[in-house]
Amino acid sequence: MLRTVISDLARLRLGNGSVSITQVREKGHLNRPRLRNPHWFLRKKRTVHDDFVTSENRNFVKEVLHHTYNSSALTRDEQTHEKKLTNETIPEKQPWSQELRRCGVIARKIGQYPLWLKNGEKIRTTLLQVVDNHVIKYVPPEEYRPTRRPNVPYSKKYGCVLVGAESTDPTLLTKEYCGLFSNSGVMPKKNVARFMVSPQSALEAGTPLNVRHFRVGEFVDVRGKTVDHGFQGVVKRHGFKGMPASHGVTKTHRRPGNIGGGGEKGRVWPGTKLPGHMGNRWRITKGLRIWRINTKYNVLWVQGSAVPGSTNGLVYIYDTILPLRKPKDAPPNYEDNTLIEDIWFEQVHNFKDESITYKPE
Amino acid sequence: MNLSNRILNKKLTECAYKCLVTFSTKPIQQAPAAAAAATTSPGGSQTQQDAAVSNNTSPARKPLVPPHYRFVYPEFLPDPKIEWRNNIREKLERLDMLDRRRQIDLPEFYVGSILAVTSSDPHAAGKVSRFVGICIHREKCGLRARFILRNVIDHQGVEVVYELYDPTIQKVEVLRLEKRLDDSLFYLRDALPEYSTFDENMDAEHLEEGTPVPVNDIKVVLRPRPWLERWERQNLLGVANIDQYIKEKHRKSALKVQKPWEKFDLMKQYRSTIPEEEQKEIFAEVHTELHTLELQRKRNKRKRTFIKPKQLA
Amino acid sequence: MAQMLLRNFSARRACGLLLSSQKQQQETCGLHTTPACCEIRKLARLRVVDNSDLGKRAMAEGRPPRCIHVYNKRGVGYIGDKVLVAIKGEKKKGILVGLKQNQRPKQPKFDSNNLVLIDDNGTPLGTRIHVPIPTILRTILKEKTLAKGADYTKVLAIASRYV
Repeated sequence: MLRTVISDLARLRLGNGSVSITQVREKGHLNRPRLRNPHWFLRKKRTVHDDFVTSENRNFVKEVLHHTYNSSALTRDEQTHEKKLTNETIPEKQPWSQELRRCGVIARKIGQYPLWLKNGEKIRTTLLQVVDNHVIKYVPPEEYRPTRRPNVPYSKKYGCVLVGAESTDPTLLTKEYCGLFSNSGVMPKKNVARFMVSPQSALEAGTPLNVRHFRVGEFVDVRGKTVDHGFQGVVKRHGFKGMPASHGVTKTHRRPGNIGGGGEKGRVWPGTKLPGHMGNRWRITKGLRIWRINTKYNVLWVQGSAVPGSTNGLVYIYDTILPLRKPKDAPPNYEDNTLIEDIWFEQVHNFKDESITYKPE
Repeated sequence: MNLSNRILNKKLTECAYKCLVTFSTKPIQQAPAAAAAATTSPGGSQTQQDAAVSNNTSPARKPLVPPHYRFVYPEFLPDPKIEWRNNIREKLERLDMLDRRRQIDLPEFYVGSILAVTSSDPHAAGKVSRFVGICIHREKCGLRARFILRNVIDHQGVEVVYELYDPTIQKVEVLRLEKRLDDSLFYLRDALPEYSTFDENMDAEHLEEGTPVPVNDIKVVLRPRPWLERWERQNLLGVANIDQYIKEKHRKSALKVQKPWEKFDLMKQYRSTIPEEEQKEIFAEVHTELHTLELQRKRNKRKRTFIKPKQLA
Repeated sequence: MAQMLLRNFSARRACGLLLSSQKQQQETCGLHTTPACCEIRKLARLRVVDNSDLGKRAMAEGRPPRCIHVYNKRGVGYIGDKVLVAIKGEKKKGILVGLKQNQRPKQPKFDSNNLVLIDDNGTPLGTRIHVPIPTILRTILKEKTLAKGADYTKVLAIASRYV
């Protein structure tokens, strides 16, 4: 016994000497930088000093703005449609297939109201407005470096499309942030988001995106940040029942009660529902049907009222990943100029139609 | 009584305008004359506007919305909760409401008016059902606007909720246009049944055009307790015998929950209403459309009254 | 106790009661009287609205039936559901034909919880329902007839009026 221990020790000492060459650190992944912010995470707002600019100078700045962006710059809620040619190369367009992943859009949740189906049933819909979207940049899969190296072997399948929404006054933004937009020829945007796309469906920088990206009757996933409720107790956060208000109950009216067993399992198990911060998380609602589209105001009517986020909050709309609800046809053509202002799904009752009647049997 | 008088007076001035509008619906030759007549009255500028539009002579002026629109079309005003508001949503909603109103005549009515609603019903024998009752409540705005009708049929109180913009509704008739003293009449549930009994085959009572909407100052008699709500706390004007059933402790607790300072709370008022300027903006947008619909309704009504003697003969 | 309850109930049921008797009730009534339940669950008092002998007598005596079981998986009865009631010391089945709780738009809501007594085959005990019943019952009862085997549509045949 003693002998074996000594021999072990000796082997260890021996090993130590040789390990200096073939050192294997098991916890090496801890030393790796865990999070590298993407290159578009820049300080957005400039510290505006009160530097007494004369009105002439202010006008001059405005003039320069108009000159550089050559558009009805800074008109609110307007979709700017000009497209500038850049010398960026994107892969050739290929015929559509169901496996391809398309770019999404940035939208605002602007409210909800009911619609009625043709059989008289009422449905609740949420209105999402696609707000002045432009493609800013496309990064092909070989060059794209994700913020965090995924655990699965990264197959480099998808490229990254950077999309901006809502043009804004560049004088309020930092130089670096405005630099993001310089190659695409679009005005600096308030919001930027990235969408992972298949290289076949990559988009050129400067391409405007609007509601015609989607078709009525198809399904979308909507990602948004839920309403922030702050630190909440267990009754509000997880819907616990609490305890009685009287009958000898003291000081435990809205508390969780028991949170674990004893004996072998005498600890709080991971995942136990406890008080904590509620809301302000990114959540995706999947498989919402598009009931109606308004091309004038770029609004989608989407099934249900469970879209994450508050009214006037920002959401991202993707094609659904649910396998049975994926689109069966190729996406609508952008260049198609036959514009109908209001597009209704065939099951939805158009308010311009006559009242619904049922045929007697 | 005093209050109802005041309301009557207010309505009188409003309806002076109403009369004039009907004149301006007549062919174009008569419109200038109507406009000339209108200049003396308070609501005259609107008729002038109409005349101007029909003649295409004077430059377009900003349409002046009649002040009673916010009572006639309360659902066009959005929810005043600031977090839920969005201009584009509200605009789209209003467009949809107008589209629906072009299909169906949704008349002016108030809480206390007696309505008959015909709606298509897949379960009914003739696929159509008609319900007559008194409107005891109106709530919500936009396409969600809804109202509750109540009636007593075969000694059984029945209430039905209707959504105003539901496309299965085929017809809304106002059988008796009047108001009551309170904003909602839920206390009819606890009143004696004769106060909410209305004949199903009741004929529409014709209200002379231009007369103000009458206020029915009837006081209902409640049944003894238990009640569905604590009516003594709600300062109801239309209940006669509330004191008969409440005890001293009820009176005291009712006093305790009173909030007499709320009418001075300007901030609360501001938060719970749409400011006047915004109301003007909203109604300026939908006014012309609503106005043409009103005119059409009047024309149809006149047609109907013209046909009637034929049928008799 | 039972007598008290009885008196209260009859007083509440007869709406156009004389004022003197109301006064009397107020004086004698030391009990807390609750309004009818807004949800049909066990021990909810119901109102028989057909002209069956048993039902009429129970209502006239002021001892309305109580629900002692709801034949569905929720334990809460909705319109068209079958319930088991205790009426005059007997166990009888019935169908809910009108509810006090809030309904969907265009569905009628009643001032009382109405019940029609039936036997095991779905044949009603009475020959007439003297209050209106909602039209949606046609569809619901037809569906249930197909699913359960008993013929509930006979209840529709004795209805006097639909809302």
